[in-house]
Amino acid sequence: MTTARIRVDHLTRVEGHGNIVVNVTDGVIEKCEWQVPEAPRFFEAMIRGRHYSEVGRITSRICGICAVGHTLSSVKATEAALGIEISEQTRKLRELLKYAENCDSHILHVNFLAAPDFLGAPSVFPLVATHGEVVARALRLKRLMHEWGSLIGGRTTHPMSVVPGGFAAVPTTKELEQLREKLVAALPDLDAFVATIVSVAGSVPDFDRPTEYIALSSDTGYALYDGDIQSLLPDGTKQRYPVADYRQVTNEFVVPQSTAKYTRNKLEAYAACALARFNNNYDMLHPEAKKVAETLGIQPICTNPYMNTVAQVVEIVSNIHESLRLLDELIETGVELEPLVEPTRYGTGAGAAEVPRGVLFHEYTYDDDGMCLGGDCVIPTNQNHNNIQYDFEKLVPELVEQDKSEKEMELALEMLVRAYDPCISCSTHYLDVKFVR
Amino acid sequence: MRYLVGVGGYLAGDDGVGPRVVDYVLENGLDQDLEAIDLSTDAVSLVAYLDDDTEAVLVVDAAHLGLAPGDFRVFSPEQVETRKELGGLTTHEGDVLKVLELAREAGFPIPPLAIMGIEPGEIAEGRPLSAPLRERLPEYAAVAVERLAAL
Repeated sequence: MTTARIRVDHLTRVEGHGNIVVNVTDGVIEKCEWQVPEAPRFFEAMIRGRHYSEVGRITSRICGICAVGHTLSSVKATEAALGIEISEQTRKLRELLKYAENCDSHILHVNFLAAPDFLGAPSVFPLVATHGEVVARALRLKRLMHEWGSLIGGRTTHPMSVVPGGFAAVPTTKELEQLREKLVAALPDLDAFVATIVSVAGSVPDFDRPTEYIALSSDTGYALYDGDIQSLLPDGTKQRYPVADYRQVTNEFVVPQSTAKYTRNKLEAYAACALARFNNNYDMLHPEAKKVAETLGIQPICTNPYMNTVAQVVEIVSNIHESLRLLDELIETGVELEPLVEPTRYGTGAGAAEVPRGVLFHEYTYDDDGMCLGGDCVIPTNQNHNNIQYDFEKLVPELVEQDKSEKEMELALEMLVRAYDPCISCSTHYLDVKFVR
Repeated sequence: MRYLVGVGGYLAGDDGVGPRVVDYVLENGLDQDLEAIDLSTDAVSLVAYLDDDTEAVLVVDAAHLGLAPGDFRVFSPEQVETRKELGGLTTHEGDVLKVLELAREAGFPIPPLAIMGIEPGEIAEGRPLSAPLRERLPEYAAVAVERLAAL
């Protein structure tokens, strides 16, 4: 009979701090928890009293990986509150920037955080010796995504050019042509990256827990920058909600084991991640991405949370091909710096965008001087915590039934959390060195 | 091109000194002969600036060096060993030294590069730079620009 004492403090290869605690004695599960012990960061308080032109700059700092998504959700919320309708050029450039962030983050997660599990390595560092070209290719793609985001957003990390009402600066048509050339030149790297994932896809753990999947959805494309909220239940039932009604979906609540708020909608928990997008919006994927999905053995409705990493690979392919289409359109029409659209009213508005880890909501209220009276940010990682907990509660009994060792259980749980690619908070980053010369 | 790169959590107290130095350089027009880049916590994107045509890179980061808070040293990656034990490269665990090690082993060209390590005082979420570091921002910026030019 299985006996295990699993206590993983500050799980590695995830963004931020989360703990896994499982106690099993003679096959009886006494405790099984996903804990998030990080302190609140009070961004909603920081923006009070700030002018609407500053708010996006501040909330962008919530995350160094999803900075584009926070900026876009923020300016969209501000534009909704101020009655601003953006131009078609602005929408296309923002979509292009969103694709850059999604690919940038997914490349990092799939190659540097998840791949070591599939390749049997403790981290990415030993892979240089055993899979040198895989690592070099990943770094090349990471570099391309950074350059792509920097071109459109002024900089990838905490973009400066995206502002309420439009763009403060735009790339030239020639720069967009050069970006297109770089993306086309990277397609062989993309193909090789997909081939690597295909070669290890068989090692994705076999586990299923049907749940509710929440993502933005649109009738015009694979929704990342814009769309309504959509709920997908395991039986295929779908329901859409306006973004302004996001609280009807998130229904935040607190639990003793976590400092982060949990969420739920129609079922006990829901998932908001690449897999949720894939399940909700499969029909809107680029045809090349559908081919890759078939090769990787993923189809909707996929209820294996470990497949979130695979869904991210499918999204990278779709995003890059959709970006080539967008670039063609922008190059054909040419890009010009447009005057910012001015506010037409002051009030409350909500905005949403899909960030790599799921749907992200911002909402603000402004007074008649354009000063922020209050805000609300609901990040996707928090929306996934409750679902991870329910995954644990189904997975651990299965592992006990299979008489897995403590070490095998621990790895299975760690891989499950890592599959969600959680971004719990942006923590500190300092060097800690000793001089040797 | 010469790159001045700031790394760290902008709103994590003295961990954010790198991006704050970049801000200071840009706000005061000290970027005439260089490009100042705020990478914040995305240190892995340092690889975007490791090219054959990159003349030099100076990374500004908080670093535990055993100095008084606010004091600093400029050193090459070869002069130090990291004391961090990393499970992987994330925005939380990764550091510049590990990114450079990975890039070098993966065959990326490493241009002349130095790190300006500034001893932090307080590192905590939601906190600004501590007074000892905030008061020395002009000095950090001046030294960073000068040392980058000399690389």
